[in-house]
Amino acid sequence: MRDSRPAAPARLRVDPVACDGVGMCAHLAPGLIVLDTWGYPIVASALSRRADIRAARAAVAGCPRRALLLEADRQPSWNGTGDPDGGSD
Amino acid sequence: MRPELRPATADRQAYRPAPVPLLGCLVRYRAADRRRLAGPRPEDLVDHLDRYGARPSARGWDGADLIAALDAAALTGRGGAHFPAVAKWRAVLAAGGSGYVVANAAEGEPASAKDAALLQHRPHLVLDGLAAAAEALGAAGSVLWLHDNARDTRMAVDRALNERRAASLAEPPVRVLSGPEHYLTGESSAVLNALAGGPALPAFRLVPAARAGLAGRPTLVQNVETMARVALLARGGAEAVVPGPLVTVAAGGVLTVCEPPPNVTLGGLLWRLGLLGPGLRPPRAILLGGYGGAWADWLSVADRTLGRLDGRRPSDSVPSLGAGVVAPLPSDGCGLAETAAVLGYLARSSARQCGPCVFGTRDLADTVARLAAGRARRADVRRLHRLIGEVDGRGACALPDGAARLARTALSVFHHDLDQHLRGRRCHDGTGTVLPIPVVTA
Repeated sequence: MRDSRPAAPARLRVDPVACDGVGMCAHLAPGLIVLDTWGYPIVASALSRRADIRAARAAVAGCPRRALLLEADRQPSWNGTGDPDGGSD
Repeated sequence: MRPELRPATADRQAYRPAPVPLLGCLVRYRAADRRRLAGPRPEDLVDHLDRYGARPSARGWDGADLIAALDAAALTGRGGAHFPAVAKWRAVLAAGGSGYVVANAAEGEPASAKDAALLQHRPHLVLDGLAAAAEALGAAGSVLWLHDNARDTRMAVDRALNERRAASLAEPPVRVLSGPEHYLTGESSAVLNALAGGPALPAFRLVPAARAGLAGRPTLVQNVETMARVALLARGGAEAVVPGPLVTVAAGGVLTVCEPPPNVTLGGLLWRLGLLGPGLRPPRAILLGGYGGAWADWLSVADRTLGRLDGRRPSDSVPSLGAGVVAPLPSDGCGLAETAAVLGYLARSSARQCGPCVFGTRDLADTVARLAAGRARRADVRRLHRLIGEVDGRGACALPDGAARLARTALSVFHHDLDQHLRGRRCHDGTGTVLPIPVVTA
C-alpha cells in the first residue's frame, strides 16, 4: 500500500553531464522517472508524498553514476541554471 | 599626458548627464570575419573622460548606492538571459563578497557583434563597469574573458588597460584571459570551468556561481554590455540607461551593431538601416534572439517596439531579442533551410556532455534538414514535435533549449512552407542559406 501521507516537498534533479543513461533510476522509482528515447531520465518535478520520497531516495542511492539528486523544494529565487551570460543562447 | 580627473565622490550627486549612448554610431562587421576590428577609431582615455567624466568610486556606501541604482533601473543581463543583475550582485554580497568578477566578452553567437563593437570602441566604459563591480562587491580579482582569436578586441583592451595604468587610475587590476573559438566558450559555467583550469565547457552547477563560483568564492559573471551599463549607472543614476539595448542586425553577410532608441519598431529599425523601403520586398520572417532564439512572422512583429533594458516587456514589444540579435529572412529565403543550417551548427557546437543534447540536438538537426530538402513525411513532423519536447531543458547549458525553441518556432511560423516541403516541393533549391554559419573545429 502506497504511503500517501504528505512529506516535506522535494524534487529530483539529474546532473545531465554525469548521467550515462544507465536507466537504473527508472526501475527503482517507476512512477517518478521515465526514460526518454535514448534512455536518459525525465524526472517528476515536485514530490510531496512519503512513498514518492522513499522511492526517489532509492533511485538516488541506486544510480551508479551518482547523477541523481534529491533536494528540498524551497522556492529559490535563483536555481543557478538558465543563466548563460553571453554567447550561449 | 595625464588626464585631469574629476574628484570622484563629491561630484557624484551633482553629476547627472543626459542619457549617454554606449556607441553613438553604427559599427559594421563582415559576418564571416566578425572578430576583425571594424568601425571608427577606438576611444582613448582622454576621449572617454571627456565624454563620460571620471568613474565615481563604488566602495563602501557608494557601492551600496550603485546597487540601489541597479535595482532602480532593473538592469537585466545583456548576455541573452536577461537575468536581473541586482539579484546576482546581492547573492555575491550575501555570500560574503571577496570573490571574483568576470566581464564576459566571449561572444559565441555567430550573428552578434555588439560585445566586440563595445570593447573595440568603448573599452574604458567596460573597464569602468568592471572596476565598479569589483569595488562594490569587494572582489579579490577581476577578469575580462574573451575568445582566443578575438585579437583586435584584445588589442583594444590591452591598450586601454595600459592607458589606465599610465594615468594611475585607482582601481583593482584586471587580468585578460581567453578561451577557444567555440559557441559555448562564453556560457557562464564554461567560463568558470575554464578559469578554474578546466576545459571551457559548461558544467552542471548545484549552487549558483554568485554564491560559490571560482575557487568556491562568490563569482559575478556579467556580459560586457551589462558592465558598460553599470559604468553609466555609477555616474548618472537610473536615467543613464534610458537608451535601448545594443542590437546586432544580421543581413546580407553583414552584422550591423546599433543602439536604437527603445520606442523604435522593428520595421523602423530595418528601415533606418536601409533593409526596408521602397523597391525592397519585406522579409519573409525574422529570427529574434540569435541561433537559440525564435522565428517570428514578419507582419506580426514589424510594428512592435524593441525590448527594454529593464527586461520588462510592454505589450507592444517584440519577443525577447536575447543578446540583441535580429536576422531578417529575405523574401526569397527558405526558413526551413535556414533552420536546418542553424540546428546543424548547434549540434556541431554541442559540448557532447549531456545525452539528450548529444543525441537529440543532432536528431533535430538531421530531421529538419530532411524536411528542408523535401525528403520528410508527416510522421517526421510528429517525431520532430516529440524530439523538441525531449531536448528542451535537458542539458547542463541552454544549447538544447535554444535548439528546441528555434525548431518549435520554425514549425509554427513556416507551417505553409512545411506543407509544400512535405509534398516534395521545396521553396528554393536549398543551397546558399543566408545566416552566417561558422566552421566548428573540434
